[in-house]
Amino acid sequence: MPATIVKRDGSVAVFDSVKILNAITRANKAVEGEAMSPTDLLFVTEKVCQKLEKENLRQVEEIQDIVEETLIQYDYARTAKAYILYRAEHTKIRNAESYLMDIYKKLTWSPAIEEDIKRENANIDGDTAMGTMLKYGSEGSKFFIDNYILPKDASAAHISGDIHIHDKDFYMLTETCCQIDLIPLFENGFSTGHGFLREPNSIESYAALACIAIQANQNEMHGGQSVPNFDWAMARGVAKTYGKEYRRAFTAWLRIRRGLGLEEAGSLTETALGACGLEPGLGLEAEMEADMKGANLPIGPEDALAAHAYAAGEAARATENRVYQSMEALVHNLNTMNSRAGAQVPFSSINYGTDTSPEGRMVVKNLLLATQAGLGNGETSIFPVQIFKVKEGLNYNPEDPNYDLFKLAMQTSAMRLFPNFSFIDAPFNLQYYKAGDYNSEVAYMGCRTRVLGNHFDPEREVTCGRGNLSFTSINLPRLGIEAKGDIDKFFSMLDDKIDLVFRQLMHRLKIQSAKKVRNYPFLMGNGIWIDSGKLDIDDSIGEVLKHGTLTVGFIGLAETLVALVGKHHGESGEAQELGLRIIRHIRARADEESEKTGLNFTLIATPAESLSGRFVALDRERFGSIPGVTDRDYYTNSFHVPVYYPIKAFKKIQLEAPYHAMTNAGHITYVELDGDTARNVEAFESIIRYMHDAGIGYGSVNHPLDRDPVCGYTGVINDVCPRCGRREGESVSVEKLRALRKLYPHMPHYE
Amino acid sequence: MLMKSELYEKELAQKEAAAEKMVGEGVGFERIRRITGYLVGTLDRFNNAKRAEEHDRVRHCCN
Repeated sequence: MPATIVKRDGSVAVFDSVKILNAITRANKAVEGEAMSPTDLLFVTEKVCQKLEKENLRQVEEIQDIVEETLIQYDYARTAKAYILYRAEHTKIRNAESYLMDIYKKLTWSPAIEEDIKRENANIDGDTAMGTMLKYGSEGSKFFIDNYILPKDASAAHISGDIHIHDKDFYMLTETCCQIDLIPLFENGFSTGHGFLREPNSIESYAALACIAIQANQNEMHGGQSVPNFDWAMARGVAKTYGKEYRRAFTAWLRIRRGLGLEEAGSLTETALGACGLEPGLGLEAEMEADMKGANLPIGPEDALAAHAYAAGEAARATENRVYQSMEALVHNLNTMNSRAGAQVPFSSINYGTDTSPEGRMVVKNLLLATQAGLGNGETSIFPVQIFKVKEGLNYNPEDPNYDLFKLAMQTSAMRLFPNFSFIDAPFNLQYYKAGDYNSEVAYMGCRTRVLGNHFDPEREVTCGRGNLSFTSINLPRLGIEAKGDIDKFFSMLDDKIDLVFRQLMHRLKIQSAKKVRNYPFLMGNGIWIDSGKLDIDDSIGEVLKHGTLTVGFIGLAETLVALVGKHHGESGEAQELGLRIIRHIRARADEESEKTGLNFTLIATPAESLSGRFVALDRERFGSIPGVTDRDYYTNSFHVPVYYPIKAFKKIQLEAPYHAMTNAGHITYVELDGDTARNVEAFESIIRYMHDAGIGYGSVNHPLDRDPVCGYTGVINDVCPRCGRREGESVSVEKLRALRKLYPHMPHYE
Repeated sequence: MLMKSELYEKELAQKEAAAEKMVGEGVGFERIRRITGYLVGTLDRFNNAKRAEEHDRVRHCCN
């Protein structure tokens, strides 16, 4: 028997045969129908020791091989199998330790600027304590999911880069996102789990509670949160604010002009309003005036009309002012609030533009003006993602009631990159639209996710209370490379991957479905998710989750086409035809799967932040650098024409539009403009109108937006700041800044 | 060692005063870009792939 053994880390330890005896005993106890007596155990151990001596083996792994071999030799097959499994588990745990510890060391000791892993998500600050804590949890969880939870083929396909299971760290926990209807939430009041909030009664509270609802929901999901009907929801707060302001002003007029006390004046105000039979409201001024004229009021008709005129004017002015302040506060809050233990600002999106009431219009106008003004030092706000819903008859044409807001939205977007534009008139969105019903209007998540159709319940093809459950993307360029120009082979391999993704999405849904309302006290406990209000705290959420979407995504259509036919869809009509065929095929498979299962299988043009680099790095390692395919550090986003390819804006829109119709779980098209063109209102509008007419679902215009934090200049900065003349990192004299302040009074106080 | 002249002292004081009145040393420009659909306040937060993609973007002309 050997005197010493060599451990895995190379250190030498005294050989102890009892350890072998214990390991065999444990393995034998784990199986049934093969009980070994103490003598049997000693016998096998003795045989192992003899072999080790004979073959002069001292390495731990070699010793374990001999144990396996000996067990099999003496016909203890089941014990041998248990021993092999036990060994495999321990290998996994050891790998977990070293692998995870390497990651943890990086997370702990390296700044984000050096470690890509800390910049996976650009809106999480990986350098902060809570950002790092989040990453510890996330990386540990991913390892657990890969090794203990996922079906082996799905895990292997993810690790090798055939597919990418998004938000894998949350696999055991929750869903992606939700479109929150604030209206019923506010009407009933809600609880964040730490206290109950009553129905709000002013626009300030409406705006503040909107932020709180977004934040609370974000903490229970792994994706973003969107409000699909922001103007409709806030309008009620505006109406309440106006009503209060009107009463206050009417009473004030009576007190001053008639020298009345507060109580008496207040009661006369109510009498006057009672005679009108209407709640004071924007746009009702003339009607109220007529009512007051006709009523026999104790204050007399003349004073009533004068007080009314004063109150209506004052209320309109004060309400407008308060709405602006509230929208400004909302934008500030959504950029400064924390979610996820402070690691991240909530990913918030708000959709608006279709409410034609004076209150809804006031909300949108002031939100846009507050967005133009920017944050405290004039910075561009990053959140919320704002989406202006374009619709003929409401805001698209000059004769439409909200056309002025559409114009203002474009002007704002040219300055601040937001809002983006969604198009209800695109046929695949229009098919759900019912005039006047916000729940039938398409909404988008900031990242581009779209949830509207509902195969599970065709009666409920609605926006509110629904979201994506999870999504997994396919590495299309790899299939393109492996097919070696054989299109049939490509489609057959693609089908295999689609099958795998569908199975994996169902596996995840099963885990999600086992959760209860109590696991989501806000999302489900407050009835935000569709039909969850009907459930009790210990009910399973499996049934209501079926309204959500299970989604397959893709990346790098352009590179796939280059691999298959030598050109991408920006360069060749043939490539475009094939591109459409590929994406149409995936969508058809998703539709079939929906038919088969009664669930919402859908197709997304994957947003892909970290994925764009991950897939191409793995493929370059495997296939080398292939021009136009793996020779850049990223795969092109979804169905986009490559960013480096020079193409006219209209042509790009034309080529990408048909993919919007196919990707029912979300899509976006970008046009890149230079700063001057973007600020040209007509040019900007021509792009948006072209998107509308081409059948784009969701689009936006990118333009360079730089800012010098020292003098506050916002616009394009090449090498030198056009305002203060400094280069990046250079200093500038305080005198110069003071002189500039005379021209630009809103400069930040850097000095 | 040379004796410090009054003139030199004065010059030094002036220099110091001037130096105090310079600001912005080491402060970079913020470059806001859109990735995946979200805006990001500065390129520092981009992962390597997205930085490369942003770098390659070309503008599309309108007509």
